[in-house]
Amino acid sequence: MRISIYRYNPETGTDPYMQDYTIEPEPGDKKLLDVLMRLKTVDDSLSFRRSCREGVCGSDAMNINGRNGLACITALSALKEPVVLRPLPGFPVIRDLVVDMTQFFAHYHAIKPYLINDGVPPERERLQTPEQRERLDGLYECILCACCSAFCPSYWWNPDKFIGPAGLLQAYRFIVDSRDTATAERLAYLDDVYRLYRCRTIMNCTEVCPKGLSPSHAIERIRIALLRASS
Amino acid sequence: MRSPVGGAPKFLNLFHIRFPIGAIASIGHRVSGVLLLISLPLLALTLERSFSSKAAFEALRTAVETPWWGLFLVVMVWAAAQHVLAGVRHLLMDIGIGSPLVEARTSAWAVILTAAIIGLAGAIRWLA
Amino acid sequence: MKVFYGQRAWLLQRASALALLLILALGAALLLVGPPLTYERWHGLATSPHGAVIIVLFFAALSLHGWIGARDIVLDYVHSLPVRLSVLAIIAVILFAVVIRVALTMAAQLSLVS
Repeated sequence: MRISIYRYNPETGTDPYMQDYTIEPEPGDKKLLDVLMRLKTVDDSLSFRRSCREGVCGSDAMNINGRNGLACITALSALKEPVVLRPLPGFPVIRDLVVDMTQFFAHYHAIKPYLINDGVPPERERLQTPEQRERLDGLYECILCACCSAFCPSYWWNPDKFIGPAGLLQAYRFIVDSRDTATAERLAYLDDVYRLYRCRTIMNCTEVCPKGLSPSHAIERIRIALLRASS
Repeated sequence: MRSPVGGAPKFLNLFHIRFPIGAIASIGHRVSGVLLLISLPLLALTLERSFSSKAAFEALRTAVETPWWGLFLVVMVWAAAQHVLAGVRHLLMDIGIGSPLVEARTSAWAVILTAAIIGLAGAIRWLA
Repeated sequence: MKVFYGQRAWLLQRASALALLLILALGAALLLVGPPLTYERWHGLATSPHGAVIIVLFFAALSLHGWIGARDIVLDYVHSLPVRLSVLAIIAVILFAVVIRVALTMAAQLSLVS
């Protein structure tokens, strides 16, 4: 199997370049990550992140044949050769396929990704009806792999100001939570030409989400919620 | 927040990115919008000319039959069709109609193909 | 004060789009359904008080819609503040001039008729 991988080492001072590898997958190799791990035994200078190897930790997001995805849940059989692997688009490259996620997580923290409730804490948990709980479906499952934000043109052009699909999906997860009392503040924070309104509904985010979530739908709901709040 | 890795490279070569159909529809919306915006002053002047006299009005109509103005008109007809159709798609998606991914993909294809057909019809009408 | 608005611009973009769609539909209905468009018919339709107002509204909506779109494009691609402000200023002046010019044209047509 032929694989072409984006290589960059800040210590050598050379520009990034593509390196071609040929490697035969063993019978047990089913996913792209399996082959990458095998490559690593041949060329230990090759760098990439991985941890859970089953699509839960979100570490091994990369650009696979021009689209963002997780190497660990990308089936080898579905890939056209040569498989071209590049780091997440628009993110600063630390080394090879490892990108700097600092800004991405700064946006995540900015939307206050935790429950805010100024009421008196109940003796036991804050209860929700099944309907209220259902509204969190499709939102809480996000693993923050950054596949979506790194495939969003609006995020490419304004990565420092636009919160991006991942952060906005998380923002909506708390806006819609019946137990959260900071909805107005959350909406007010998002009513900004950069933070929310850079989204042009391109839907690249929803196209590449490895968990099948729809950040574009969350953004659509935030805009409606803002409209309701201001009228 | 500042990135701790100053001067780090980025991969952002758009030719190496495989864009979904929704992204193509979106860039079509943007390109057609720019074309329409650029031609807006010309449209205002054309409007003015069309009132000035019967002869001027007829001259505008015959100008369309010349190749260069015909070509310009075909491009503008495509741009208007693309922009209006993609715009209606966005307005509907704003209120939740057709915003699930599968439907959005279908409508993106529909917009691009319909605008292309309208542009082609314009080409047959004014250029053939 | 914010220089660029979020929700207001987003709303105006959609409101102007709806106005444009409405006027386009009206224009298409008039031009396609009625008798062939001669100079006399065009002049009569366009320079009636209703026609003139609708045409001015059409260009005003076009300019507003174009302004928000152009602003979005500039916010995406132009990041140097002096260049950004210059480009936006040029676009604003041109769009403003277009609306003024069309308004004057239609006013002149109306006064000619009356």
